[in-house]
Amino acid sequence: MSQDTPQANPLSQYLILFVTGDAPRTRRARRNLAAALSEAGIDGWPREIDLLEEPRQALDFGMFATPALLRTGEQRPRAVLYGDLSDEATLSQFLGEL
Amino acid sequence: MTPTQKDQVELALVKRATGIRSLDAVTRGGLPARGATLIVGEPGCGKTILGLQILAGALSRGEGGVFMSFEESSTQLLRNAATFSWGGLLHDASRCEVINAKGMKGAEFAGAFDIEGLLAMLASCANRVEGTWIVLDGIDQLLRHQPDQEQAIEQVAQINDWCERQGYTLLLTGKHSGDRLTRPEHLAGIEFLLPTIFVLSSILVDRRLHRRFRIAKYRGTHHDPDELALLIDDDGIHLPYANTADEEEVVASSQRIGTGIERLDDVLGGGLYQGSTTLISGQPGTSKTTLAAAFVEAACERGERALFVSFDELASRIVRNVASVGIDLQPHIDSDRLALQTHTSWHSLAEQHFMALQQRIDEVRPHCLVIDPASALLKASSAQSPHIALERLLDRTRRDGITTLLTSLSSDEDPSDESTLTHVSTLADTWIVLRYEIRGGERNRALSVVKSRGTAHSNQVRELVLSSRGVDLADVYQYGTEVLMGTARVEKESEEEAARQRQKREREQRQQLLERQIDKTLLQISQQETELQRLRDELEDESAYQGSSDRELARHHETIRQYREPEHKLTREKRQARRQEDGQ
Repeated sequence: MSQDTPQANPLSQYLILFVTGDAPRTRRARRNLAAALSEAGIDGWPREIDLLEEPRQALDFGMFATPALLRTGEQRPRAVLYGDLSDEATLSQFLGEL
Repeated sequence: MTPTQKDQVELALVKRATGIRSLDAVTRGGLPARGATLIVGEPGCGKTILGLQILAGALSRGEGGVFMSFEESSTQLLRNAATFSWGGLLHDASRCEVINAKGMKGAEFAGAFDIEGLLAMLASCANRVEGTWIVLDGIDQLLRHQPDQEQAIEQVAQINDWCERQGYTLLLTGKHSGDRLTRPEHLAGIEFLLPTIFVLSSILVDRRLHRRFRIAKYRGTHHDPDELALLIDDDGIHLPYANTADEEEVVASSQRIGTGIERLDDVLGGGLYQGSTTLISGQPGTSKTTLAAAFVEAACERGERALFVSFDELASRIVRNVASVGIDLQPHIDSDRLALQTHTSWHSLAEQHFMALQQRIDEVRPHCLVIDPASALLKASSAQSPHIALERLLDRTRRDGITTLLTSLSSDEDPSDESTLTHVSTLADTWIVLRYEIRGGERNRALSVVKSRGTAHSNQVRELVLSSRGVDLADVYQYGTEVLMGTARVEKESEEEAARQRQKREREQRQQLLERQIDKTLLQISQQETELQRLRDELEDESAYQGSSDRELARHHETIRQYREPEHKLTREKRQARRQEDGQ
């Protein structure tokens, strides 16, 4: 999913999911996010950055807990949602601002 | 190596020195080289400064480190650090990584999270700067977002284990929750988990902030468990009362040095012992400073270095004032033998004064030290007994063989006021008390040596005499059971002298008179003797004449009787006797 090109997957241009390998909370976060996106009727998948492989990215983006969902882009203010995204209400509110 | 020895070596806790001398002293060598040390405390106690300073120390030794703050931005941190002498070291980006994680404080969370990414990032940074020091400042700001508190505790354990494995020395700081000093907020139970915990606290005494430091826990090693005063100055954090000195026995000197007043040396049996402590106490104006000035002047004249620390009196004024009694300090100041310093007593805490004094002693390395008055040190604000500052200082001077003279102000005229100085006086080897003696409308300065260890000192009160020629002690003038001083002494002395002269003259006159009488009597005796002799002679002459005339008369009477008596009445025997009588 993370290998999609930006053209085919516009979501990856303004949504980044920071993960650590295949840790339980990372898996849980992917599951929770997929369910929420599907519910909201949003296609595509965010860009994923694995901090175990690219630890300096944590510095560059200022992400010091994982998983973390980062919303970037020129149109909207930057926002981060940390955790395994098990809080459905918070997650859907976050995605609703997309 | 036997298996047991090998085990011991492996089990022994390896420490890493922080470079903060006093901290390394109380921890007996520093922080655990591998693993986490938790520093808990209220805001403003110096947790962040301690972390920054330890990192700066590492940088100064050529080591590298990572500082990650969940409380402040990198800019704020570096700006704070810049107020310290070592702040610039943290700008060395090649050896130092300062990470801004302030954003985590207000971040939004939707569920539990991992810290593996954080650790991977830290490892990457530590690798880049080739560092072994990691500071996570305000880790509680991150972990408080963990929905399950036990998860947070586990993650602290995870960080600790990771550091042990990787060989990092980690400092974690966190705010405590108020009631439990060893526990940061949101991290209940952390105190059971980590082997090393330091607690910083602060209290207000006399509206001044006093910071304190305590090692709440340091598993597997000896350490100093006392709560200690913590100071922050331009050089960062200090624990002034940490025992940094070697515990070796100090040999007491038997060498005596002069006080600058010859007669006082005599009173003290030859002077003060080198390295000893002398307390001079007295009311305002009893010449404590003058005696102290005479002491340092004498030291400088012997070619020694002296440090004169004055509280609240300007150095220039002291020089001027003592010059009026013939003590010239200026040449010694000019030749750098004498360092004369003024400190403002109200300005600092007792611990700060103590530290400043320590630093001055380090700089000057004096043979003789004066603190005038040391009572200023005792009245400075302190959370602990201010006597500690003085005790520590005197411990230092004894070790270094610095002959120390403390003056102390006794506040009122009550002589029993001496007892309020009891504590200081027990520290001192020699205690000289100056007092005013008021008699005949005059104040005079009286000096007495209350005690002097190892010395057969004089018990007598003496008069301290100041003149433009210098300071001296006047021999006491005993008048009955009283000691007279000043004009009374001089007056009494001359009165007594006049009386003595008068008595002497009277005695001489009496003697002369008697001698004359004796002469006269002797003359009379000799005259009388002459008379006596004459009388005797006369008497003798008289008796001799008497005898012969008596016999003449007797013969005459006999003759007449014979003529009258008839011849026959004369017996033959009578005639015979008469003849014999005549024949004689």
